[in-house]
Amino acid sequence: MNFQLRLDAESVEHAFPSAPLTVEPQTAVCEVFLLLKDSHAGHVIVGQAGEIQGIFTERDALKLMAEGADLQIPVAEVMSRDPVTMRVDDTVGRAITSMAQGGYRRLPVVDETATLRGVLKSSGILHYLVQHFPAVIYNLPPQPHHKTQEREGA
Amino acid sequence: MISCPDCSFENIEGSDECQQCGQSLTTLHLAEPATDVERSLLDDRVGVLDPKLPVAVTPQTPVGEVLQKLVAQSIGCVIVVENQELVGIFSERDALQKLNVDVDAFRDHPVSEYMTSDPQTLEADSKVAFAVQRMDLGSYRHVPIVDDQGRPVGIVSVRDILRYLADKMGAVDV
Repeated sequence: MNFQLRLDAESVEHAFPSAPLTVEPQTAVCEVFLLLKDSHAGHVIVGQAGEIQGIFTERDALKLMAEGADLQIPVAEVMSRDPVTMRVDDTVGRAITSMAQGGYRRLPVVDETATLRGVLKSSGILHYLVQHFPAVIYNLPPQPHHKTQEREGA
Repeated sequence: MISCPDCSFENIEGSDECQQCGQSLTTLHLAEPATDVERSLLDDRVGVLDPKLPVAVTPQTPVGEVLQKLVAQSIGCVIVVENQELVGIFSERDALQKLNVDVDAFRDHPVSEYMTSDPQTLEADSKVAFAVQRMDLGSYRHVPIVDDQGRPVGIVSVRDILRYLADKMGAVDV
């Protein structure tokens, strides 16, 4: 049983980064919407050939939906530019700090040539934590199962 | 003394089950948490995350209005409440998955058509580790906290968990 959380030693690759979903900058926003729905994804990376120009998340989509925006425009016009990235050898702890400080839920992961390798998500961090705890903790009922309040006499 | 993982009652060494709540204690002889972060996750209850009061709407609220509320208040979800009881949750994920490019046709429809009904909830004394596991299993980003009457009293998000972890790592050099 591995019961050691090594947030300061294990790299982000241990926190289940997902394969990146990418679109080109000129892709229409409505196409991106449909891609996100079909892939059950919450974000796409905008860029070409492994280079990251921006990220478009369901938060960005929500804003456009709320205001009834024109969805024919290119995604490059509404994406968040130059998102904060992690290096493949950065630690899980560093990723947690970055997410907590910046309020990000997704961090693109790049190699030493700044090429996109994956995306670390907050859900991957949670999964990493769960994998590192012994099963016993999860078998605990959320509420104690009251058998008896009194010790039975004998 | 051996502390019950669930109710924190101090039992005598060697007890097989907690004398207060009946929880099995036989698994407590497993490895001790090695770091403060582990210890905190296993000991702390979600109340320490200081769960925010969720923004609530009625089932009849038009979904277009809910979208604007999510944006205006910078929140990721609203809870749907009827007669003080939690009946559903509607998140930005629901907006994208269920409304998508057809949003304009559905703006006037009630949020109840698109919400996730009967969401998973936790009570304020649930362990943080348990909340993390719930979120991981169900791929939830928000879990409402309810009182013993089932009334919503707070909401815990994955952001709260990340902030908590960052806080617990604190001085640790990462």
